[in-house]
Amino acid sequence: MSDTMTRPKLRLDHVTKEFAAPRTGLRTVAVSDVSLEIQAGDFVCIVGPSGCGKTTVMNMIAGLDKPSSGTIEIDGAPITGPGADRGVMFQDYALFPWLTVRDNIGFGLRNGTPGRGMAANDVEERISKHIELVRLGGAETKYPHQISGGMRQRVALARLLANGPDVLLMDEPLGALDAQTRLILQAELLRIWGETAPREERKTAVFITHDIAEAVFLSDSVVVMSSHPGRIRAVLPIDLPRPRDEHVRAHPRFAQLSEEIWELIRDEAYRAIA
Amino acid sequence: MSATLALSSAGRRTPDMLRAIALPITLLVAWQLWAMTLPDDTRAPSPASVVAAFVRLCASGNLPISLAQSFGRVLVGFAIGLVLGVSLGTLMGASRAVRRNIEPIIESFRPIAPMAVLPIAILWFGTGTPAGLSIVGYAAFFPMLLSTAQGVSRTDRNLVQAARTMGVSRFRILAKVIVPAALPSILLGARLGMGVAWTAIIAAELAVGAKSGGGSSGGIGQMMFIFYSYSIDMNGIVVCMIVVGVVALFIDRLFRIAERHLIPWRQ
Repeated sequence: MSDTMTRPKLRLDHVTKEFAAPRTGLRTVAVSDVSLEIQAGDFVCIVGPSGCGKTTVMNMIAGLDKPSSGTIEIDGAPITGPGADRGVMFQDYALFPWLTVRDNIGFGLRNGTPGRGMAANDVEERISKHIELVRLGGAETKYPHQISGGMRQRVALARLLANGPDVLLMDEPLGALDAQTRLILQAELLRIWGETAPREERKTAVFITHDIAEAVFLSDSVVVMSSHPGRIRAVLPIDLPRPRDEHVRAHPRFAQLSEEIWELIRDEAYRAIA
Repeated sequence: MSATLALSSAGRRTPDMLRAIALPITLLVAWQLWAMTLPDDTRAPSPASVVAAFVRLCASGNLPISLAQSFGRVLVGFAIGLVLGVSLGTLMGASRAVRRNIEPIIESFRPIAPMAVLPIAILWFGTGTPAGLSIVGYAAFFPMLLSTAQGVSRTDRNLVQAARTMGVSRFRILAKVIVPAALPSILLGARLGMGVAWTAIIAAELAVGAKSGGGSSGGIGQMMFIFYSYSIDMNGIVVCMIVVGVVALFIDRLFRIAERHLIPWRQ
């Protein structure tokens, strides 16, 4: 018991990732010596300028990429490849264009490990439940190209959650949305993540963004990364009360935390556009 | 909304069609007038005599039977090319190692026209249907192979990764992600393959007809050979040419309709 209390859900230990260019063999360091512990039930945002290796870190946790050196553990066991215990929401949603909304949400349950051992009825029921959860009733038979960006984002979220992962990995899932939709979906995301539920029932979430306000609004802690090579600059605990609603954005502490994060990445952000 | 659309396109259709058929009709009339100026004993075909020959060939059953024979060969040969082309194309598209090994072989065979393979086909299979099938299969194989390989290799990598993070096995990913993603390319390859298959069977039957001296292998191509070397029936040859063209057009349209139904997510 005490072991599970102290052991982090995810542990990255001196993780470095190098990529070799296909033809020249030139090596670039995408992520350098990253160590990080994420507790079960935490909502963690990773912010940083483009090219800081945010996506690479997430891909390694997902098991889609292997670290060049260092180890990544989930519940104390090393990650060797992708698995449905770590659900991923991709930046471009990665919806299957040939499947309807319903079939997209049910893809993992019907074809992958999440639905193994489940009766067909239960699978369908679970899909319906998640369609309701993201309020997509009525759009079930539509194809992804027939629905709006905000709806597509909700399909991807429903698919992620329907598979029942322990860890939610989200790569700038709201990046393509307009500002208003984005604010609404941030609040909705917290509701679905389980903000109002007791801590033990919440999922562990790793969320990549380059929107500082978004990171502060969502997170229990914010990991600030810098680029060339990608390193962790700082980890800031976000001590704003939960559940959070729109009013938290007006909280003086909200502005203070946003300012602190901006201080950390400002120089690099300016250098990037200079 | 859809009613007004249908109306407006119907309203535009009539003059469009008139414009489209104006030139063919003018040419047909000119052809008929020119043929009428020639002495009666020339063999030059005219629209009227071609229509008469068409009616005669249909009534005797020769044309429908030959057509069915050729078409049957195309279907079977095409199916062979489809199975081989799509399965090998999928392997080529999915695995760089397979592609590296197979591509040089494919690329050295591809410029060899189906007709250039015919001598070997006849020596191996004789002048009957098997020779025809092998030519059709050979012709249809390449477009389907290359199109499938391209479609598979261009599958959005994110979709494959998404499936992997949902605990989907490699085999299921192939069946449920890669093949559907490549389906538009596969269908395009099938349409092109069917087109060359139809061209190839006519040429093969013509050549086999020559080899067997108008024997009993049948098909539209051989019918043309008989008109050409025995009865010297220009009208019959023209009928065959037109039928071959119309059938090709019909097949192409059929594939386009099938594409629309099999790929409803593509607008």
